[in-house]
Amino acid sequence: MAVPVDVIPRRPTLLFIVVLSLLFVLMSLSTRTRYVGETRTMFERTVMTIFSPVPKAVNWVGQSASDTYHGYLDMRRAVNENFTLHQKVIDLTAENLKLRQSEGDLKRLRSLLGYADEFSMPTTMAQAVMLDTAGAFKSMIIDRGSNAGIQVNDAVVNANGLIGRVVLTTRDLAKVQLVTDSNSSAGVLIERTRRQGVLRGDGGAAAQLYDVPSLADVQAGDNVLSAGIDGIYPKGIPVGVIVKADKGQDLFKAIIVKPSVDFGSIEEVIVLHTRKIPNDVVRYTP
Amino acid sequence: MRWLRFAIGLLIALTLHSLLDSFYPNALAFFNPYLILVIYYAMGGNLVGAIFAGIAAGLVQDAYSGAIFGLHAFSLTVIAYIVAYINSRLVLRGTLPFGACLFGGSIVNDLVIFIMVNILLKQRIEMFEQEMIVKAIFTSLFGMLVYQLLTLFLREEPIEAARRPAY
Repeated sequence: MAVPVDVIPRRPTLLFIVVLSLLFVLMSLSTRTRYVGETRTMFERTVMTIFSPVPKAVNWVGQSASDTYHGYLDMRRAVNENFTLHQKVIDLTAENLKLRQSEGDLKRLRSLLGYADEFSMPTTMAQAVMLDTAGAFKSMIIDRGSNAGIQVNDAVVNANGLIGRVVLTTRDLAKVQLVTDSNSSAGVLIERTRRQGVLRGDGGAAAQLYDVPSLADVQAGDNVLSAGIDGIYPKGIPVGVIVKADKGQDLFKAIIVKPSVDFGSIEEVIVLHTRKIPNDVVRYTP
Repeated sequence: MRWLRFAIGLLIALTLHSLLDSFYPNALAFFNPYLILVIYYAMGGNLVGAIFAGIAAGLVQDAYSGAIFGLHAFSLTVIAYIVAYINSRLVLRGTLPFGACLFGGSIVNDLVIFIMVNILLKQRIEMFEQEMIVKAIFTSLFGMLVYQLLTLFLREEPIEAARRPAY
């Protein structure tokens, strides 16, 4: 049976409409999981896994070239440093003797005051292999995944402060949502006054601090730390510095926070395997 | 063979994406290698091939960026279809038409993303017209350069496809 001539040109249009509809459904599902903060779609993870050798290879080549270049520079510098270090060893040995005496004193005093040992949580070092800070959505891919014990909602930090949280893991990669992402939220407090608020990314280079009453004492230059009340970020991690605190339009202040981390120069990061709050505890309603 | 060439192009685009992210994280705000690849493929005039090219390139871009998964696939599929549709009726060849398609495609890409994000997310994002124009210009210039190199050194033309007569 012959196919009518006018039907043939319409087939791509039909396919086009069907494809757009399916993609719209996929986007809707993805949007929902973004807010829940749980694992994203299996489809996204599959695509990421298939193409994961590419960014890893690029990172490996870049790292090797960088290591070779810096290795040469380091070798030249090492000769000069060696001489200086010999002298320092002599000085530090003398200082070490003094400090050992002080350490003994400190331990004794601590035990007297009943200080508890510092709480330590398991961590994993990782390297940033891709960083997407263009547009309103900010994310980063790191070179460690579920094989290294990384889970969704693990906090990610570096020496300067809070970077974000893990939103997706594959076996050897993980995607991190940065605190400046327009969908990111974190419970924070102002170090000086201990006033708590919610930090949300503004999709640009900064973030905004919400839910701080207009009568609260807030000044530019105040340090902002994680409050440890959102079930994701541990308490006390530096988040940023307040650069602007204006009287808002309603009952709350309009506060702009400059992140303490320079997202353009992230290399190594530390993933904190934070203790997850069970779902039945989160969703329990009396 | 055409799909093999597209797959190689996609790997190159992802490599470029990774490299730029490593050295200059804001680079994708100024130019989009996936868009260049999709428009290059779509200029062959094959509507079905262009749709699948848009989906594949868009999903890879989505997987390695922080956007809603499927957002770039949606926008690139729309652009691929429009470009392929135009090219199935008009024979557009040469660097300048390619640049014009890239310029228009880049604008449409940003507009589609802006509209879809405002529809799907509760949180509104603002549209940055200047950034949009700058991105369109850089994407066009880089795409035209790539096109020139392919034409001069590899004697390459946009991936051919059977043309349908204009009804």
